[in-house]
Amino acid sequence: MGEALRDAWAIARKDLRLEFRTRTAILSALVFTVLVLLVLNFGRDPTAVAAVDLAPGILWVTFTFAAMLALNRAFQLELENQALDGLLLAPVDPASLYWGKLIANLAFVGVVEAVGLPVFVLLFNVPVAHALVPLVGVIALATVGFVAVGTLFSAMVIRTRFAELMLPMLLLPFLIPPLIGAVQVTARLLASRPLSEVAGALKLLAAYDIVFVLLATLLFPLTVRE
Amino acid sequence: MILLRAGRWTTLAGLAMLAGLYVRALAFTPVERFQGAAQKIYYIHVPAAWTAMLAMAFVGGAGILYLLLRDRRFDRFAEASAEVGTAFSVVMLTTGPIWAKPIWGTWWTWDARLTFTLLLFLLFLGYLTLRGAVTEPDLRARYSAVLGICGLVLLPFIHLSVYLFRTLHPRPIVLQPARPALPPEMLLTLLLGAATMLVLYAGFVMQRMALAHRREREGHAHA
Amino acid sequence: MPDTPQNAGYMIAAYVVAGVVLVAYAVALWLRTRRTDE
Repeated sequence: MGEALRDAWAIARKDLRLEFRTRTAILSALVFTVLVLLVLNFGRDPTAVAAVDLAPGILWVTFTFAAMLALNRAFQLELENQALDGLLLAPVDPASLYWGKLIANLAFVGVVEAVGLPVFVLLFNVPVAHALVPLVGVIALATVGFVAVGTLFSAMVIRTRFAELMLPMLLLPFLIPPLIGAVQVTARLLASRPLSEVAGALKLLAAYDIVFVLLATLLFPLTVRE
Repeated sequence: MILLRAGRWTTLAGLAMLAGLYVRALAFTPVERFQGAAQKIYYIHVPAAWTAMLAMAFVGGAGILYLLLRDRRFDRFAEASAEVGTAFSVVMLTTGPIWAKPIWGTWWTWDARLTFTLLLFLLFLGYLTLRGAVTEPDLRARYSAVLGICGLVLLPFIHLSVYLFRTLHPRPIVLQPARPALPPEMLLTLLLGAATMLVLYAGFVMQRMALAHRREREGHAHA
Repeated sequence: MPDTPQNAGYMIAAYVVAGVVLVAYAVALWLRTRRTDE
Protein backbone atom coordinates (compact mmCIF):
# COMPACT_ATOMS: atom_id res chain seq x y z
CA MET A 1 0.00 0.00 0.00
CA GLY A 2 2.75 2.39 1.00
CA GLU A 3 4.63 1.62 -2.16
CA ALA A 4 1.56 2.31 -4.27
CA LEU A 5 1.17 5.69 -2.65
CA ARG A 6 4.81 6.48 -3.12
CA ASP A 7 4.57 5.57 -6.79
CA ALA A 8 1.50 7.72 -7.19
CA TRP A 9 3.25 10.62 -5.56
CA ALA A 10 6.28 10.11 -7.78
CA ILE A 11 4.14 10.19 -10.89
CA ALA A 12 2.34 13.28 -9.67
CA ARG A 13 5.61 15.01 -8.93
CA LYS A 14 6.98 14.16 -12.35
CA ASP A 15 3.92 15.63 -14.02
CA LEU A 16 3.93 18.73 -11.90
CA ARG A 17 7.64 19.29 -12.37
CA LEU A 18 7.14 19.08 -16.13
CA GLU A 19 4.33 21.57 -15.81
CA PHE A 20 6.37 23.95 -13.79
CA ARG A 21 9.32 23.76 -16.13
CA THR A 22 7.37 24.54 -19.28
CA ARG A 23 4.65 26.61 -17.66
CA THR A 24 2.78 27.00 -20.95
CA ALA A 25 -0.20 24.91 -19.94
CA ILE A 26 -0.77 26.53 -16.58
CA LEU A 27 -0.28 30.03 -17.96
CA SER A 28 -2.67 29.49 -20.84
CA ALA A 29 -5.22 28.02 -18.45
CA LEU A 30 -4.90 31.03 -16.16
CA VAL A 31 -5.16 33.49 -19.01
CA PHE A 32 -8.14 31.65 -20.40
CA THR A 33 -9.88 31.69 -17.03
CA VAL A 34 -9.39 35.41 -16.63
CA LEU A 35 -10.58 35.98 -20.18
CA VAL A 36 -13.75 33.99 -19.61
CA LEU A 37 -14.49 35.96 -16.47
CA LEU A 38 -13.87 39.26 -18.25
CA VAL A 39 -16.11 38.37 -21.17
CA LEU A 40 -18.89 37.20 -18.89
CA ASN A 41 -18.52 40.38 -16.89
CA PHE A 42 -18.76 42.65 -19.91
CA GLY A 43 -21.57 40.62 -21.33
CA ARG A 44 -24.00 41.08 -18.51
CA ASP A 45 -26.22 44.03 -17.76
CA PRO A 46 -25.61 44.95 -14.13
CA THR A 47 -28.91 46.75 -13.88
CA ALA A 48 -30.91 43.78 -15.12
CA VAL A 49 -29.66 40.95 -12.96
CA ALA A 50 -27.83 41.21 -9.69
CA ALA A 51 -24.33 39.82 -9.73
CA VAL A 52 -25.07 37.54 -6.83
CA ASP A 53 -27.73 35.75 -8.88
CA LEU A 54 -25.47 35.11 -11.83
CA ALA A 55 -22.38 34.50 -9.76
CA PRO A 56 -22.67 30.78 -9.06
CA GLY A 57 -23.31 29.95 -12.70
CA ILE A 58 -20.47 32.11 -13.94
CA LEU A 59 -18.06 30.77 -11.37
CA TRP A 60 -18.80 27.19 -12.21
CA VAL A 61 -18.74 27.60 -15.95
CA THR A 62 -15.27 29.05 -15.54
CA PHE A 63 -14.09 26.29 -13.24
CA THR A 64 -15.49 23.61 -15.53
CA PHE A 65 -13.56 25.02 -18.47
CA ALA A 66 -10.42 25.07 -16.36
CA ALA A 67 -10.90 21.43 -15.42
CA MET A 68 -11.37 20.47 -19.07
CA LEU A 69 -8.16 22.22 -20.03
CA ALA A 70 -6.26 20.44 -17.31
CA LEU A 71 -7.60 17.07 -18.32
CA ASN A 72 -6.79 17.59 -21.95
CA ARG A 73 -3.15 18.21 -21.28
CA ALA A 74 -2.84 15.38 -18.79
CA PHE A 75 -2.05 12.64 -21.20
CA GLN A 76 -0.97 14.77 -24.10
CA LEU A 77 2.32 15.28 -22.37
CA GLU A 78 2.92 11.56 -22.26
CA LEU A 79 1.80 10.95 -25.76
CA GLU A 80 3.99 13.64 -27.23
CA ASN A 81 7.21 12.10 -26.07
CA GLN A 82 6.01 8.52 -26.22
CA ALA A 83 6.58 8.58 -22.53
CA LEU A 84 3.36 6.64 -22.12
CA ASP A 85 5.07 3.46 -23.25
CA GLY A 86 7.80 4.01 -20.75
CA LEU A 87 5.29 4.44 -17.98
CA LEU A 88 3.47 1.27 -18.89
CA LEU A 89 6.68 -0.76 -18.86
CA ALA A 90 7.61 0.48 -15.43
CA PRO A 91 6.67 -1.88 -12.59
CA VAL A 92 4.02 0.47 -11.36
CA ASP A 93 0.60 -0.59 -10.20
CA PRO A 94 -1.86 0.95 -12.69
CA ALA A 95 -3.92 2.23 -9.80
CA SER A 96 -0.90 4.27 -8.72
CA LEU A 97 -0.76 5.67 -12.21
CA TYR A 98 -4.34 6.81 -11.85
CA TRP A 99 -3.77 8.37 -8.45
CA GLY A 100 -0.65 10.08 -9.67
CA LYS A 101 -2.50 11.60 -12.59
CA LEU A 102 -5.42 12.46 -10.36
CA ILE A 103 -3.22 14.32 -7.88
CA ALA A 104 -1.39 16.17 -10.65
CA ASN A 105 -4.64 17.17 -12.35
CA LEU A 106 -6.16 18.30 -9.07
CA ALA A 107 -3.10 20.40 -8.34
CA PHE A 108 -3.31 21.98 -11.78
CA VAL A 109 -7.00 22.77 -11.54
CA GLY A 110 -6.55 23.87 -7.95
CA VAL A 111 -4.06 26.52 -8.96
CA VAL A 112 -6.35 27.80 -11.68
CA GLU A 113 -9.27 27.92 -9.27
CA ALA A 114 -7.18 29.61 -6.60
CA VAL A 115 -6.43 32.41 -9.04
CA GLY A 116 -9.86 32.42 -10.61
CA LEU A 117 -11.79 32.90 -7.41
CA PRO A 118 -10.19 36.20 -6.35
CA VAL A 119 -10.43 37.51 -9.93
CA PHE A 120 -14.09 36.58 -9.90
CA VAL A 121 -14.67 38.33 -6.58
CA LEU A 122 -12.93 41.42 -7.90
CA LEU A 123 -14.76 41.61 -11.20
CA PHE A 124 -18.22 40.75 -10.01
CA ASN A 125 -18.01 42.47 -6.67
CA VAL A 126 -19.50 39.52 -4.86
CA PRO A 127 -18.59 39.26 -1.20
CA VAL A 128 -17.32 35.83 -0.28
CA ALA A 129 -15.44 36.44 2.93
CA HIS A 130 -18.38 35.44 5.11
CA ALA A 131 -18.53 32.01 3.55
CA LEU A 132 -15.00 31.48 2.35
CA VAL A 133 -14.27 28.20 4.11
CA PRO A 134 -17.44 26.37 3.04
CA LEU A 135 -17.05 27.86 -0.43
CA VAL A 136 -13.55 26.48 -0.78
CA GLY A 137 -14.92 23.22 0.55
CA VAL A 138 -17.63 22.91 -2.05
CA ILE A 139 -15.22 23.95 -4.80
CA ALA A 140 -12.86 21.19 -3.69
CA LEU A 141 -15.62 18.59 -3.52
CA ALA A 142 -17.00 19.33 -6.96
CA THR A 143 -13.56 19.57 -8.54
CA VAL A 144 -12.59 16.15 -7.23
CA GLY A 145 -15.75 14.82 -8.85
CA PHE A 146 -14.96 16.28 -12.28
CA VAL A 147 -11.32 15.36 -12.24
CA ALA A 148 -11.82 11.83 -10.93
CA VAL A 149 -14.01 10.85 -13.86
CA GLY A 150 -12.14 13.03 -16.30
CA THR A 151 -8.78 11.44 -15.52
CA LEU A 152 -10.24 8.01 -16.21
CA PHE A 153 -11.82 9.10 -19.47
CA SER A 154 -8.77 10.95 -20.75
CA ALA A 155 -6.84 7.69 -20.53
CA MET A 156 -9.36 6.09 -22.89
CA VAL A 157 -9.85 8.99 -25.17
CA ILE A 158 -6.18 9.66 -25.80
CA ARG A 159 -5.95 6.85 -28.31
CA THR A 160 -8.94 7.99 -30.33
CA ARG A 161 -8.85 10.29 -33.27
CA PHE A 162 -10.63 13.35 -31.96
CA ALA A 163 -9.50 13.22 -28.37
CA GLU A 164 -10.12 16.89 -27.60
CA LEU A 165 -13.72 16.63 -28.78
CA MET A 166 -14.41 13.22 -27.34
CA LEU A 167 -13.45 14.05 -23.81
CA PRO A 168 -16.01 16.83 -23.22
CA MET A 169 -18.63 14.79 -25.00
CA LEU A 170 -18.13 11.73 -22.84
CA LEU A 171 -17.68 13.75 -19.69
CA LEU A 172 -20.72 16.00 -19.95
CA PRO A 173 -23.34 13.74 -18.35
CA PHE A 174 -20.89 13.04 -15.54
CA LEU A 175 -20.37 16.71 -14.81
CA ILE A 176 -24.03 17.40 -14.26
CA PRO A 177 -24.60 15.98 -10.76
CA PRO A 178 -21.56 17.67 -9.19
CA LEU A 179 -22.35 20.87 -11.06
CA ILE A 180 -25.95 20.95 -9.91
CA GLY A 181 -24.84 20.39 -6.33
CA ALA A 182 -22.00 22.89 -6.55
CA VAL A 183 -24.09 25.67 -8.07
CA GLN A 184 -26.84 25.16 -5.51
CA VAL A 185 -24.46 25.27 -2.59
CA THR A 186 -22.51 28.24 -3.99
CA ALA A 187 -25.71 30.18 -4.54
CA ARG A 188 -26.82 29.60 -1.00
CA LEU A 189 -23.45 30.36 0.52
CA LEU A 190 -23.18 33.65 -1.34
CA ALA A 191 -26.67 34.55 -0.20
CA SER A 192 -25.59 33.92 3.38
CA ARG A 193 -27.96 31.05 3.90
CA PRO A 194 -27.16 28.76 6.80
CA LEU A 195 -25.01 25.76 6.03
CA SER A 196 -27.66 23.34 7.23
CA GLU A 197 -29.73 24.13 4.17
CA VAL A 198 -27.13 22.73 1.83
CA ALA A 199 -26.16 19.72 3.92
CA GLY A 200 -27.98 17.40 1.53
CA ALA A 201 -26.18 18.75 -1.51
CA LEU A 202 -22.82 18.53 0.22
CA LYS A 203 -23.48 14.93 1.20
CA LEU A 204 -24.39 14.16 -2.39
CA LEU A 205 -21.18 15.75 -3.64
CA ALA A 206 -19.11 13.81 -1.15
CA ALA A 207 -20.87 10.56 -2.04
CA TYR A 208 -20.28 11.21 -5.73
CA ASP A 209 -16.61 11.80 -5.11
CA ILE A 210 -16.10 8.68 -3.05
CA VAL A 211 -18.03 6.45 -5.43
CA PHE A 212 -16.36 7.66 -8.59
CA VAL A 213 -12.82 7.84 -7.25
CA LEU A 214 -13.18 4.23 -6.12
CA LEU A 215 -14.80 3.18 -9.39
CA ALA A 216 -12.15 4.94 -11.45
CA THR A 217 -9.36 3.36 -9.43
CA LEU A 218 -10.95 0.00 -10.08
CA LEU A 219 -11.48 0.54 -13.79
CA PHE A 220 -8.36 2.51 -14.67
CA PRO A 221 -6.11 -0.55 -15.18
CA LEU A 222 -8.44 -1.64 -17.97
CA THR A 223 -7.73 1.50 -19.92
CA VAL A 224 -3.98 1.26 -20.08
CA ARG A 225 -3.11 -2.39 -20.16
CA GLU A 226 -2.32 -3.43 -23.71
CA MET B 1 -29.73 -16.95 -38.97
CA ILE B 2 -31.92 -17.81 -36.05
CA LEU B 3 -31.35 -14.70 -34.01
CA LEU B 4 -32.15 -12.48 -36.94
CA ARG B 5 -35.31 -14.35 -37.80
CA ALA B 6 -36.49 -14.33 -34.19
CA GLY B 7 -35.66 -10.67 -33.98
CA ARG B 8 -37.67 -9.84 -37.07
CA TRP B 9 -40.73 -11.70 -35.91
CA THR B 10 -40.48 -10.12 -32.48
CA THR B 11 -40.21 -6.69 -34.04
CA LEU B 12 -43.26 -7.35 -36.18
CA ALA B 13 -45.17 -8.43 -33.11
CA GLY B 14 -44.02 -5.29 -31.38
CA LEU B 15 -45.15 -3.10 -34.24
CA ALA B 16 -48.54 -4.79 -34.18
CA MET B 17 -48.74 -4.12 -30.46
CA LEU B 18 -47.77 -0.52 -31.15
CA ALA B 19 -50.68 -0.17 -33.52
CA GLY B 20 -52.95 -1.70 -30.93
CA LEU B 21 -51.58 0.66 -28.31
CA TYR B 22 -52.29 3.65 -30.49
CA VAL B 23 -55.86 2.57 -31.09
CA ARG B 24 -56.47 1.87 -27.45
CA ALA B 25 -54.79 5.02 -26.18
CA LEU B 26 -56.34 7.38 -28.67
CA ALA B 27 -59.82 5.94 -29.01
CA PHE B 28 -60.58 3.80 -26.01
CA THR B 29 -58.91 5.50 -23.07
CA PRO B 30 -60.72 8.34 -21.35
CA VAL B 31 -59.40 11.87 -21.59
CA GLU B 32 -58.01 13.21 -18.37
CA ARG B 33 -60.27 15.93 -17.02
CA PHE B 34 -57.73 18.55 -16.03
CA GLN B 35 -54.90 17.97 -18.48
CA GLY B 36 -56.83 17.25 -21.61
CA ALA B 37 -55.91 15.00 -24.47
CA ALA B 38 -52.22 15.86 -24.21
CA GLN B 39 -52.00 13.74 -21.09
CA LYS B 40 -52.22 10.71 -23.36
CA ILE B 41 -48.69 11.39 -24.45
CA TYR B 42 -47.84 9.72 -21.19
CA TYR B 43 -48.70 6.32 -22.59
CA ILE B 44 -45.90 6.67 -25.09
CA HIS B 45 -43.42 8.80 -23.18
CA VAL B 46 -43.29 6.85 -19.93
CA PRO B 47 -42.85 3.36 -21.44
CA ALA B 48 -40.20 4.73 -23.80
CA ALA B 49 -38.39 6.22 -20.82
CA TRP B 50 -38.53 2.99 -18.85
CA THR B 51 -37.21 1.08 -21.83
CA ALA B 52 -34.39 3.55 -22.39
CA MET B 53 -33.38 3.28 -18.74
CA LEU B 54 -33.54 -0.49 -18.96
CA ALA B 55 -31.38 -0.37 -22.07
CA MET B 56 -28.79 1.68 -20.21
CA ALA B 57 -28.86 -0.71 -17.28
CA PHE B 58 -28.26 -3.58 -19.68
CA VAL B 59 -25.39 -1.74 -21.34
CA GLY B 60 -23.72 -1.39 -17.95
CA GLY B 61 -24.56 -4.92 -16.86
CA ALA B 62 -23.33 -6.43 -20.11
CA GLY B 63 -20.13 -4.45 -19.69
CA ILE B 64 -19.54 -5.96 -16.28
CA LEU B 65 -20.22 -9.44 -17.61
CA TYR B 66 -17.88 -8.90 -20.53
CA LEU B 67 -15.07 -7.83 -18.24
CA LEU B 68 -15.61 -10.81 -15.98
CA LEU B 69 -16.16 -13.48 -18.60
CA ARG B 70 -14.52 -11.98 -21.70
CA ASP B 71 -17.29 -13.34 -23.90
CA ARG B 72 -17.69 -11.18 -26.98
CA ARG B 73 -21.43 -11.79 -27.04
CA PHE B 74 -21.86 -9.54 -24.03
CA ASP B 75 -20.11 -6.77 -25.89
CA ARG B 76 -22.38 -7.27 -28.91
CA PHE B 77 -25.37 -7.16 -26.62
CA ALA B 78 -24.12 -3.94 -25.03
CA GLU B 79 -23.59 -2.41 -28.45
CA ALA B 80 -27.08 -3.41 -29.54
CA SER B 81 -28.71 -2.23 -26.35
CA ALA B 82 -26.98 1.13 -26.65
CA GLU B 83 -28.18 1.72 -30.18
CA VAL B 84 -31.72 0.62 -29.41
CA GLY B 85 -31.65 2.65 -26.21
CA THR B 86 -30.71 5.69 -28.25
CA ALA B 87 -33.78 5.19 -30.43
CA PHE B 88 -36.03 5.03 -27.39
CA SER B 89 -34.24 8.05 -25.94
CA VAL B 90 -35.12 10.00 -29.05
CA VAL B 91 -38.76 9.05 -28.56
CA MET B 92 -38.46 10.09 -24.93
CA LEU B 93 -36.73 13.37 -25.73
CA THR B 94 -39.19 14.38 -28.41
CA THR B 95 -42.40 13.39 -26.65
CA GLY B 96 -41.24 14.94 -23.39
CA PRO B 97 -41.20 18.59 -24.53
CA ILE B 98 -44.33 18.04 -26.65
CA TRP B 99 -46.03 16.94 -23.45
CA ALA B 100 -44.44 19.69 -21.36
CA LYS B 101 -45.63 22.54 -23.53
CA PRO B 102 -49.37 22.16 -22.96
CA ILE B 103 -49.02 20.88 -19.41
CA TRP B 104 -46.33 23.17 -18.07
CA GLY B 105 -46.52 26.00 -20.55
CA THR B 106 -42.91 25.65 -21.67
CA TRP B 107 -41.06 23.37 -24.05
CA TRP B 108 -38.22 22.77 -21.70
CA THR B 109 -37.59 22.91 -17.99
CA TRP B 110 -34.80 21.53 -15.88
CA ASP B 111 -37.07 19.27 -13.92
CA ALA B 112 -36.26 15.74 -12.88
CA ARG B 113 -37.85 13.95 -15.80
CA LEU B 114 -36.69 16.05 -18.71
CA THR B 115 -33.16 16.54 -17.43
CA PHE B 116 -32.84 12.83 -16.86
CA THR B 117 -34.03 12.11 -20.38
CA LEU B 118 -31.51 14.53 -21.86
CA LEU B 119 -28.61 13.10 -19.89
CA LEU B 120 -29.58 9.55 -20.72
CA PHE B 121 -29.58 10.46 -24.38
CA LEU B 122 -26.16 12.09 -24.05
CA LEU B 123 -24.82 9.02 -22.30
CA PHE B 124 -25.96 6.79 -25.13
CA LEU B 125 -24.55 9.18 -27.68
CA GLY B 126 -21.20 9.27 -25.91
CA TYR B 127 -21.13 5.50 -25.69
CA LEU B 128 -21.81 5.04 -29.40
CA THR B 129 -19.30 7.73 -30.30
CA LEU B 130 -16.61 6.06 -28.23
CA ARG B 131 -17.32 2.78 -29.94
CA GLY B 132 -17.08 4.46 -33.30
CA ALA B 133 -13.74 6.00 -32.43
CA VAL B 134 -11.96 2.82 -31.35
CA THR B 135 -11.31 0.36 -34.14
CA GLU B 136 -9.62 -2.55 -32.45
CA PRO B 137 -12.39 -4.87 -31.19
CA ASP B 138 -10.88 -5.93 -27.88
CA LEU B 139 -9.94 -2.42 -26.89
CA ARG B 140 -13.32 -1.16 -27.99
CA ALA B 141 -15.11 -3.78 -25.91
CA ARG B 142 -13.00 -2.93 -22.88
CA TYR B 143 -13.45 0.84 -23.18
CA SER B 144 -17.15 0.45 -23.83
CA ALA B 145 -17.49 -1.66 -20.71
CA VAL B 146 -15.71 1.00 -18.65
CA LEU B 147 -17.95 3.75 -19.97
CA GLY B 148 -21.06 1.61 -19.66
CA ILE B 149 -20.35 0.81 -16.03
CA CYS B 150 -19.66 4.46 -15.24
CA GLY B 151 -22.91 5.40 -16.96
CA LEU B 152 -24.85 2.87 -14.96
CA VAL B 153 -23.38 4.14 -11.68
CA LEU B 154 -24.16 7.69 -12.75
CA LEU B 155 -27.90 7.13 -13.15
CA PRO B 156 -28.85 7.20 -9.46
CA PHE B 157 -26.73 10.33 -8.98
CA ILE B 158 -28.52 12.11 -11.80
CA HIS B 159 -31.82 11.20 -10.26
CA LEU B 160 -30.76 12.35 -6.80
CA SER B 161 -29.20 15.60 -7.89
CA VAL B 162 -32.13 16.59 -10.06
CA TYR B 163 -34.51 15.73 -7.24
CA LEU B 164 -32.40 17.97 -5.02
CA PHE B 165 -32.63 20.74 -7.55
CA ARG B 166 -36.35 20.38 -7.83
CA THR B 167 -37.03 20.48 -4.11
CA LEU B 168 -35.00 23.67 -3.81
CA HIS B 169 -36.72 25.29 -6.79
CA PRO B 170 -40.47 24.80 -6.70
CA ARG B 171 -41.63 25.22 -10.22
CA PRO B 172 -44.63 27.27 -11.31
CA ILE B 173 -46.88 25.14 -13.44
CA VAL B 174 -49.76 25.96 -15.69
CA LEU B 175 -51.73 22.81 -15.07
CA GLN B 176 -51.44 20.56 -12.09
CA PRO B 177 -50.23 17.20 -13.34
CA ALA B 178 -51.06 15.68 -10.00
CA ARG B 179 -49.97 12.13 -9.30
CA PRO B 180 -52.99 10.48 -10.81
CA ALA B 181 -54.43 7.61 -8.93
CA LEU B 182 -54.71 5.96 -12.30
CA PRO B 183 -58.12 4.58 -13.02
CA PRO B 184 -57.91 1.01 -14.29
CA GLU B 185 -58.48 1.85 -17.97
CA MET B 186 -55.54 4.23 -17.93
CA LEU B 187 -53.33 1.87 -15.98
CA LEU B 188 -54.07 -0.86 -18.47
CA THR B 189 -53.12 1.37 -21.37
CA LEU B 190 -49.89 2.29 -19.64
CA LEU B 191 -49.05 -1.36 -19.06
CA LEU B 192 -49.84 -2.13 -22.66
CA GLY B 193 -47.46 0.62 -23.59
CA ALA B 194 -44.76 -0.87 -21.40
CA ALA B 195 -45.25 -4.32 -22.88
CA THR B 196 -45.16 -2.92 -26.41
CA MET B 197 -41.93 -1.06 -25.86
CA LEU B 198 -40.31 -4.06 -24.24
CA VAL B 199 -41.24 -6.33 -27.11
CA LEU B 200 -39.94 -3.77 -29.59
CA TYR B 201 -36.75 -3.45 -27.56
CA ALA B 202 -36.23 -7.21 -27.62
CA GLY B 203 -36.88 -7.45 -31.35
CA PHE B 204 -34.60 -4.53 -32.15
CA VAL B 205 -31.78 -5.80 -29.95
CA MET B 206 -31.94 -9.28 -31.45
CA GLN B 207 -31.68 -7.91 -34.96
CA ARG B 208 -28.90 -5.52 -34.02
CA MET B 209 -26.92 -8.30 -32.36
CA ALA B 210 -27.33 -10.45 -35.43
CA LEU B 211 -26.00 -7.57 -37.49
CA ALA B 212 -23.01 -7.12 -35.22
CA HIS B 213 -22.27 -10.82 -35.32
CA ARG B 214 -22.40 -10.89 -39.09
CA ARG B 215 -20.09 -7.90 -39.36
CA GLU B 216 -17.60 -9.52 -37.08
CA ARG B 217 -17.68 -12.78 -39.00
CA GLU B 218 -17.22 -11.01 -42.29
CA GLY B 219 -14.44 -8.97 -40.80
CA HIS B 220 -12.60 -12.19 -39.98
CA ALA B 221 -13.24 -13.61 -43.42
CA HIS B 222 -11.68 -10.63 -45.09
CA ALA B 223 -8.79 -10.36 -42.66
CA MET C 1 -64.33 23.32 -12.22
CA PRO C 2 -62.07 24.45 -15.05
CA ASP C 3 -62.80 23.36 -18.60
CA THR C 4 -60.82 20.49 -20.01
CA PRO C 5 -58.13 22.16 -22.15
CA GLN C 6 -58.24 21.54 -25.88
CA ASN C 7 -54.74 20.32 -26.62
CA ALA C 8 -55.28 17.31 -28.81
CA GLY C 9 -52.92 18.80 -31.36
CA TYR C 10 -49.99 18.11 -29.08
CA MET C 11 -51.14 14.59 -28.53
CA ILE C 12 -51.32 13.93 -32.25
CA ALA C 13 -47.90 15.46 -32.78
CA ALA C 14 -46.30 13.32 -30.09
CA TYR C 15 -47.92 10.13 -31.31
CA VAL C 16 -46.87 10.83 -34.86
CA VAL C 17 -43.27 11.64 -33.92
CA ALA C 18 -42.93 8.58 -31.70
CA GLY C 19 -44.47 6.33 -34.32
CA VAL C 20 -42.21 7.69 -37.03
CA VAL C 21 -39.07 7.19 -34.94
CA LEU C 22 -39.92 3.62 -34.00
CA VAL C 23 -41.06 2.55 -37.43
CA ALA C 24 -38.11 4.28 -39.07
CA TYR C 25 -35.71 2.43 -36.80
CA ALA C 26 -37.47 -0.86 -37.54
CA VAL C 27 -37.16 -0.22 -41.25
CA ALA C 28 -33.54 0.82 -40.88
CA LEU C 29 -32.72 -2.41 -39.08
CA TRP C 30 -34.55 -4.40 -41.74
CA LEU C 31 -32.53 -2.75 -44.46
CA ARG C 32 -29.23 -3.10 -42.66
CA THR C 33 -29.73 -6.79 -41.94
CA ARG C 34 -30.86 -7.63 -45.44
CA ARG C 35 -28.13 -9.48 -47.22
CA THR C 36 -27.27 -7.23 -50.13
CA ASP C 37 -25.54 -9.98 -52.01
CA GLU C 38 -28.49 -12.34 -51.99
